[in-house]
Amino acid sequence: MLKVENVSVGYGGAPVVRNISFNLDKNENLCIIGPNGCGKTTLLKAIAGILPYSGSVELDGKPLRRMKIREITKKIAMLSQISGVYFSYSVFDTVMMGRYLHMRGSFFGSASERDRDFVSECLRAVDLESVADRGISELSGGQLQRVFFARALAQEPDVILLDEPTNHLDIKYQIELIEYLKEWSRAGGHRAVGVLHDINLAMRLSENMLLMKDGITAAEGRAGEQIDSGMLRDVYGVDVVGFMKQSLRRWDGM
Amino acid sequence: MRLKITVTIALSLVILIFGMAVGSVYIPPADSLAIVWHKITGAAVPDFVKSTDVAIIWDLRLPRALLAFVVGAALSVSGAVMQSVLKNPLASSYTLGVSSGASLGAAIVIVCGVTVPALQMFTLPVIGFALGLGTILLAIAVSSRLDGNLENNTIILTGMVISLFINAVVTLVSALTREHIQRLIYWQMGSFQLKEWSTLYVLFPIILVCAFVVAHFNRELDMLTFGEEQAKTMGVNTKRVKWILLIVAAAMTGSAISFVGVIGFVDLVAPHIVRKIFGASHRYVIPMSAVLGGGFMVLCDLAARTLVPLQELPVGAVTAMIGAPFFTYIYFSRRKHP
Repeated sequence: MLKVENVSVGYGGAPVVRNISFNLDKNENLCIIGPNGCGKTTLLKAIAGILPYSGSVELDGKPLRRMKIREITKKIAMLSQISGVYFSYSVFDTVMMGRYLHMRGSFFGSASERDRDFVSECLRAVDLESVADRGISELSGGQLQRVFFARALAQEPDVILLDEPTNHLDIKYQIELIEYLKEWSRAGGHRAVGVLHDINLAMRLSENMLLMKDGITAAEGRAGEQIDSGMLRDVYGVDVVGFMKQSLRRWDGM
Repeated sequence: MRLKITVTIALSLVILIFGMAVGSVYIPPADSLAIVWHKITGAAVPDFVKSTDVAIIWDLRLPRALLAFVVGAALSVSGAVMQSVLKNPLASSYTLGVSSGASLGAAIVIVCGVTVPALQMFTLPVIGFALGLGTILLAIAVSSRLDGNLENNTIILTGMVISLFINAVVTLVSALTREHIQRLIYWQMGSFQLKEWSTLYVLFPIILVCAFVVAHFNRELDMLTFGEEQAKTMGVNTKRVKWILLIVAAAMTGSAISFVGVIGFVDLVAPHIVRKIFGASHRYVIPMSAVLGGGFMVLCDLAARTLVPLQELPVGAVTAMIGAPFFTYIYFSRRKHP
């Protein structure tokens, strides 16, 4: 169980995220949605151990605060929004970085056969085997996003936190990524927490939703049950459900 | 990859041999090698080799060439580390004030004419090194006070401010003590002149240990270039690793330049060229920066002492004059045809 209780996070001044709580069982996913600047990414970073927070985060009964960053990252991987690439590593080497914690021991940190196999497996999962030897600066934004996803998988985590993982991806890979994550958590006892702009994709990832506004929980629960059309309208300031239905009518005619 | 590595190492060795053979007296490479072989193994020197040649090679040129190699290697590895840790292609020990700190140390020693009895001829190197390292520690201490996460921009800005301030002090000291100005300026231009084995005995072990430490952190260096947050989410203890790497890199530059004076440009150029040839992975970047930077420095020193007859050019100027056009060529020719 991933247990987040009364978590508040800030960057020195007043907290940007206040009193967020949620529980997430094994084999389940959660999506966090909400308008720009509501603190979704900040919350993810706190859970990943990058930002200091108040409140408590527990994973399978163990408080993360008492764990070293090494122990945390063995269990929790984070897929950040992609940033600029300064130096161009090969795709294979980049994904191998995810194996960092699994290959301590040798003085210069060389990879074992198992590490190499695992990296190949991760590359296969994101359909990038064919470009394994290319430099990452030659890739498209979408390919790069998939490389970083493979790197997160290579960490063999129990939980993956994803910050806008579908940005830069075309629709085929958007759907594939979401389906992959669903299968990944269903089959392996894993969990994925995703921050997604696209509410359609979010609902596809999980019916469990955390709706945030201005750093606090606006609503939490299943879409259609605890979260309804009115709440979405309040939080986003636009008739979300009406817009979706309108779009659907347009697609129906095709 | 294996071929590229072999070629680079072979090229550096050839340069090293020419660094011994070429000079005011030309000693054929074969003879030079025979002399070195003789000295190392104790075997007999061939009859046709003059004893003055033996002295020139063993007492002057070999220690000088090896020292140039070690210094070049140290500066390049240090530059590679700074660039990666600070995620800034233009970062170097200069940016963080190591060189200006060491200059200040040199200025104090030269102007006051002090010699610490226990240190003797190593007074200048030791004080230069101490102040060089002190400057970067100050820069890191100030930036961690400003920003607990040691963000790169904070470190670079603090380092530059401190560095500029200390440079101003050095300029002031030189201006006020005109009788020492020439020695100070020469020190700031760098030179391998009049260096003996003893310098190498001190410097080599320091650089070797530092290089091993850096190589040990090769994967952390890889990850740090993706930014601290990503490195953290992969399990790197970024704060600790950054501290260690910055200080080791500063120690490499500091100890190297405190013996031979300020030599710039190698630390900037060599790692970039290495990344172009061998890729960005630090398990190649670190050792190959050492080899390429070392070879480059021997070449520059060779040029410095042979280009103008009977006069020696400051090697720091030579590194920049050879390095800048070469760097531009490499960078742009590769960029057009990826």
